[in-house]
Amino acid sequence: MVLTLTVNGDHRASVADPVTPLVDVLREEFHLTGAKPVCREGFCGACMVLVNDKPTPSCLMPVALAQGSDIRTVEGLGSGGTLTAIQAALEACDAVQCGMCFPGMVVTLTHLLATSPEATRDEIRAALSGNICRCTGYERIVDATLSALAVK
Amino acid sequence: MSDISATMDFRRRDARDKLRGRTRYTMDRYLPGMLHAAVLRANVASGRIVRLDTSRAACMPGVRAIITAADAPGKIGIGIADHPLFARDVIRYDGEPLAAIAADTLTQAQAALAAIDVEIAPLPAVLTMAESLAAAAPLVHPDWPNYEVLFEGGAREGNVAWEATVVRGDVDAAFARPDVEIVESNFRVGRQNHVAFEPRAVVATYEDGRFHIETSTQVPWTIRNATARILGVAPSRVRVTVPPVGGAFGLKFDLAIEPFAALLARASGQPVRLVNSREEEMLTCLFRENADIRIRSAVTRAGEIVGREAVVLMDCGAYGGEQIFLTTMTAHTLGGNYRLGTTRLVSRAVYTNTAPNGAFRCCNGVYCTFALERHTDEIAARIGMDPLAFRRHNVLGDGDLGATGQVFEGNVLGPMLDRMDTLREAAAPSRKLADGRLFGRATTVGTWFVFVGPSAATINMNADGTATLVTSGVEIGSGSMMQSLPQIVAGTLGLNPDDVVVRAADTDAAGYDAGVGGGRTTVSLGAASLSAAQEVRTKLLKVASEMIEAAPEDLVMRQGRIEIAGAPGSGHAIAEVATRAQARFGPVSGTGAFTGAGVPAMPGCVAGHFIDAIDIPVFAVHDCDVAVDPETGQVEVLNYRVVQDVGRALNPRAIHGQIQGGVVQGLGYALHEEVTIGTNGRVCQNGFETYRLPLALDVVPVEISLYEGAPSVGPLGTKGAGEVPILNVGATVACAVANATGKRVQELPLTPPRVLELLLARNGELGHPHIAEAWVDNLVRPHGTAAQDRK
Ligand code: FES
Ligand code: FES
Repeated sequence: MVLTLTVNGDHRASVADPVTPLVDVLREEFHLTGAKPVCREGFCGACMVLVNDKPTPSCLMPVALAQGSDIRTVEGLGSGGTLTAIQAALEACDAVQCGMCFPGMVVTLTHLLATSPEATRDEIRAALSGNICRCTGYERIVDATLSALAVK
Repeated sequence: MSDISATMDFRRRDARDKLRGRTRYTMDRYLPGMLHAAVLRANVASGRIVRLDTSRAACMPGVRAIITAADAPGKIGIGIADHPLFARDVIRYDGEPLAAIAADTLTQAQAALAAIDVEIAPLPAVLTMAESLAAAAPLVHPDWPNYEVLFEGGAREGNVAWEATVVRGDVDAAFARPDVEIVESNFRVGRQNHVAFEPRAVVATYEDGRFHIETSTQVPWTIRNATARILGVAPSRVRVTVPPVGGAFGLKFDLAIEPFAALLARASGQPVRLVNSREEEMLTCLFRENADIRIRSAVTRAGEIVGREAVVLMDCGAYGGEQIFLTTMTAHTLGGNYRLGTTRLVSRAVYTNTAPNGAFRCCNGVYCTFALERHTDEIAARIGMDPLAFRRHNVLGDGDLGATGQVFEGNVLGPMLDRMDTLREAAAPSRKLADGRLFGRATTVGTWFVFVGPSAATINMNADGTATLVTSGVEIGSGSMMQSLPQIVAGTLGLNPDDVVVRAADTDAAGYDAGVGGGRTTVSLGAASLSAAQEVRTKLLKVASEMIEAAPEDLVMRQGRIEIAGAPGSGHAIAEVATRAQARFGPVSGTGAFTGAGVPAMPGCVAGHFIDAIDIPVFAVHDCDVAVDPETGQVEVLNYRVVQDVGRALNPRAIHGQIQGGVVQGLGYALHEEVTIGTNGRVCQNGFETYRLPLALDVVPVEISLYEGAPSVGPLGTKGAGEVPILNVGATVACAVANATGKRVQELPLTPPRVLELLLARNGELGHPHIAEAWVDNLVRPHGTAAQDRK
């Protein structure tokens, strides 16, 4: 059976077992390794992708369920090598350390920027509760988000 | 002359691709024809392998190679070679590797693992240090006397893998003085999991008789040498390269899964990728070790510490590994904060039938500092002295002796405490909380060190005016490789840091390096890079002086040009000079090497230590306010302050990032993170649902003050800054919670149930029946008798 997926605007075919987690299809078949399977339990957010604009842990979604949805991975954000507002802010604030959590952070924060232009520090923290970072201690990420919101 | 100040606070170059998901970590790498590997692991804590038959697995679809103990003859270790790659006849911990398989897909490899026929006869296990040290306990390594000793000097016997001692002065006499109070405290801490976001991962190939290992590691040279030892080949047959590393924290400071992939690549003739699952990482991550500690001090009522003794038991798990080395650290983390009249310490690495422990950011230091600082508060309470005044009175200053008789230089901790007073006063939150929660505050001090060790660097000056820095350094996320080193090179050569290309670590291309960890990157690799850059500078200035017709001393290198000092716009672009130099003399390069001089201990003071004294001490003062909910036991950290000795801050932004991150990891250790071992010998926390990491909502912004100017042999006066921030977080939170509740905090983490038990006085006092009452009864052999009983 062949599944068809829309990933970053492209239609792609997958031969994966329908119960395979979406993250594995993205990485192993399409070689989109931005989403990271860090916990595979839906807790860390490193595998977050946008499914119809909603941040979704791709480790918990069987690939069959992703058919017919618009899937956007971190690779599909921004265009032609330019950074999005949140990516630029995270870079400017020197928020990145090892970087493994950031593809997922960027996806979550992209959604936050689009839906909560007035978010406060505490609201940003709450929005990040599904994205764990082991390196940075979060503060720079929150600072960067505030500055991206201010620019908007 | 260097002008590093012009290049400070330079942003990291690797952020953009990390933010776009383009960075290829080891776990993201693919090679054509690559196989996928999986490892079969034991599911008993102790047992004998009766049968291990791989013939059925070998016929499974997609299987290309299977390896077992027969394929890996060597044993590795630090101090003692006690660790085989696969369990051979005997299983010593739940999770120990038995066999590995490479197949076309990971699913096929996993299916084939299930087809290996294994029969194991269970044996009695020792799961705790108390069980392991009991008389007639089964030995984890019955063969211990026959193991190859790689470093002489530690005492060993039975389940004591290694014992290191310090004796300075007549401690018995100090304790017998009539004018002293004797204060005794016991502590216990559990294991902490690094939870590096990228699991340990490797891709290996075998070509032309050599192994190429791409791996997520902090120590490319260790991987090269240890893999060769395990495989029984010459180290020069192994090449290690390192892609960007997705977090490490010490987890990747030791050999892990690399030999499996290497052997499978040789056996199959194809590239092999092996990535640990999260569960494997949770169960076998070389945790920060659990430890049991007793400290006793003899203190005068005026607040002089005239004698101190300590017993530190460090659980090394089934194999000695880094714990053996870390027994050394106790002397410096317990004995490097305060002036001690006399002291004796014993640290013992103890075998148990549990997953091995290893290095973790400020290894050993976090719990020794917790124990020491809680003990310090208990002393102050006993003699009726303000704890801050007691600290101020006793912290080590210029000319004071550390535990091993090392003479400390400079007054650092005292002024840092003053600096903290200012920070704290500026914060001034209310001492009473309106919501009925209990308020507590504490200030603690801590001493850590830079693990100096050897490093090498080469700089190739390119004709286009850029410089390529070649080292075995690895970017693990701290920014040392992507910020500090290019700044040092750029500052010396008058370049923009972006014009310094940083070559990824490659043991075929760069000289030996002790590894990225222990806060040593900026210091050791920095010093090697600085001296390589100085050689390049001298060569370029010589050529430029002919071109400009001015003496080299009159020239400066700045903003990509070599000019006559004081005459901006004179001279030539560095690219022109480099091109000319290349045409006349050949390409310009420079090399640099560095290692710590090694500071001696007082003669006779130490036994079994890998490092007698510390080359570069690093000090920290932490302070926090907490609120404890008496109903739920919930501890909230209200604010947090750090004064950190950085020697010289090359990149304050990067250091601030490290401090915020390190403190939050410390808050995890202090409040949430706990690894426990079940009665079956298996780690109970196998994922993020059961192991609770700090979330964005749990943390506070850390107020930071960088203390500069303390003496350091590091390049330009630097010290390592990434390791230290976690050092006294557990201590500070514990002291603050003790102050809030009026209870004796003896264990971490302070989870709500544990705090409630404290408040209700449920658990009674913590004792350590397996630590003998008299200090000397805790030794395998008396201090200082090492030489006699060695054959
Ligand atoms: S890997 Fe999907 S949430 Fe952690
Ligand atoms: S930067 Fe390493 S996990 Fe977030």
